[in-house]
Amino acid sequence: MSSLSAFSQHKTHEIAVSVRNLGLTYTTAIDKRPTLKARAKALGRGSKQTRVVRALDDVNLDVNYGQVLGVIGTNGAGKSTLMRCIAGILPPSQGRIEVNGSVSTLLALGVGFNPSMSGRDNVYLGGLAAGMTREEITGHFDEIAEFSELGDAIDAPMRTYSSGMFARLAFSVAATVRPDILIIDEALSTGDAKFKEKSLNRIKELRSDDRALILVSHAMKTLRETCNDIAWLHKGKIVQRGEPNQVIDAYQKFLDLGKSAAIDEDV
Amino acid sequence: MSTPIQVYEPFKAGLPKLGKYWKSLWSRRVFISEFSKSELREQHFDSVFGQLWLVINPLLLSGVYFILIVIIRGGSDGTRYVHLTATLFLFYLISNSLTGGVKSITAGQRLILNTAFPRVMLPISAVIIAVFKFVPTIFVFLIIKVVVGSEFKVEMLWAIPILLITILLALGLAITISCINVYFRDIASFLPYLTRTLLYLSPVLYEASELDPKLRVLEVVNPLFPILDSWSSALVHGQMPEISNMLQGLAWAVGIFLIGTYFFLSREREFAVRL
Repeated sequence: MSSLSAFSQHKTHEIAVSVRNLGLTYTTAIDKRPTLKARAKALGRGSKQTRVVRALDDVNLDVNYGQVLGVIGTNGAGKSTLMRCIAGILPPSQGRIEVNGSVSTLLALGVGFNPSMSGRDNVYLGGLAAGMTREEITGHFDEIAEFSELGDAIDAPMRTYSSGMFARLAFSVAATVRPDILIIDEALSTGDAKFKEKSLNRIKELRSDDRALILVSHAMKTLRETCNDIAWLHKGKIVQRGEPNQVIDAYQKFLDLGKSAAIDEDV
Repeated sequence: MSTPIQVYEPFKAGLPKLGKYWKSLWSRRVFISEFSKSELREQHFDSVFGQLWLVINPLLLSGVYFILIVIIRGGSDGTRYVHLTATLFLFYLISNSLTGGVKSITAGQRLILNTAFPRVMLPISAVIIAVFKFVPTIFVFLIIKVVVGSEFKVEMLWAIPILLITILLALGLAITISCINVYFRDIASFLPYLTRTLLYLSPVLYEASELDPKLRVLEVVNPLFPILDSWSSALVHGQMPEISNMLQGLAWAVGIFLIGTYFFLSREREFAVRL
């Protein structure tokens, strides 16, 4: 929960995020909704029916300033969970995370948006939710409106927007935040091909020596182009980390094979 | 300038660092107000008829209850109606805070799962909305008081500290119930029964002085009782409320606020996992 308005200079290669022995286990109840009624019924039955999910297991990860780290892995590998831990949304069960700088997350588009309000009002609402001040948003408003290509529709209620328009505005707001550390979780695949390219270019613009970027994506080509480091996550563990082409090749080989003996072993 | 280093570790039961928490909450005050405004707009309170509804709704409510009183007691007078409206409107401030607060965390799931912010912002916003809905009823009450011919006195200003105590109590209740609802999602379905019971236990449909001495225990166990009684003394009868009543109300408000906030803050880091 850090303020984005505090500007600071970070030297390249200085550590931005340090994750040490991070473990996270969820205990999910079998009953979908926890209720008083269900709890009362379970009283006679003794122990509660739960399932323990190990989402992250002994993850070690350092991200330096100037680095653009891509995170890859199959569905359920723990990518989003790891991002949420770094952002301070989920508390770790084990280990320690140190974050040196202001973090902004682009985990889902349009967080804090209210569909009954106009695009203009939502720019403020979304920007404030992302940690910007009202002045900062006003200062960037024209830039946001222009980038979103909404034109006059910016003053129409957001419930009248198509999903593409919604995503375009949401991305435009999010891309205006200038944090030290930016975490983007599969938010690039929005809008039509033209807007996709535009947003990818914006991400590339955000790459700088005094910023750390973490991208979660399934778009391997994009990651090869944008990142200078890749971490491959599988079943909550980091399998491989290093040069993008090398790691992505290994990952794609793994996907083609379907199974690799070493990775799938449950110890 | 050095940037703060954030450290996330497995948390132990207990409070987060309060100074830091407060700073983080305070830095989001503009967001809290915009967020509350957008919720109000979603409920159409930005339009003329929406605002009119804020006035008509309490009027209709007080009308219905007045009919009830007239029928049960076989007659009534103006002062009783003034008492009914004054206390009913304040009661609805509490009740709206509870109904708005109960789902504030569970409904804010998207926000909670994707952004880091002090979670207590959500029930606070529910209380802000309830206060916003309460404000027009003050004017309705004053008009009723003029129409009935009830006297205006300086002692009515005692209503201001009582209102502040009420808001603190509303905040405490909203924070507590929003937290409970994360663990027991069916609390929201019990809530209407709870608020209805509270209404009948509180001096709204009757005056505190009329209460059967055998039922005096209600005063001790109901946090709203001393507050509504003081509110009626000040606004309806133009008398200075009994200090003991106000202190009792304040003690309830501070107590519930502190316990609820402690409960909430020590658990809020877990909310993202529970949703």
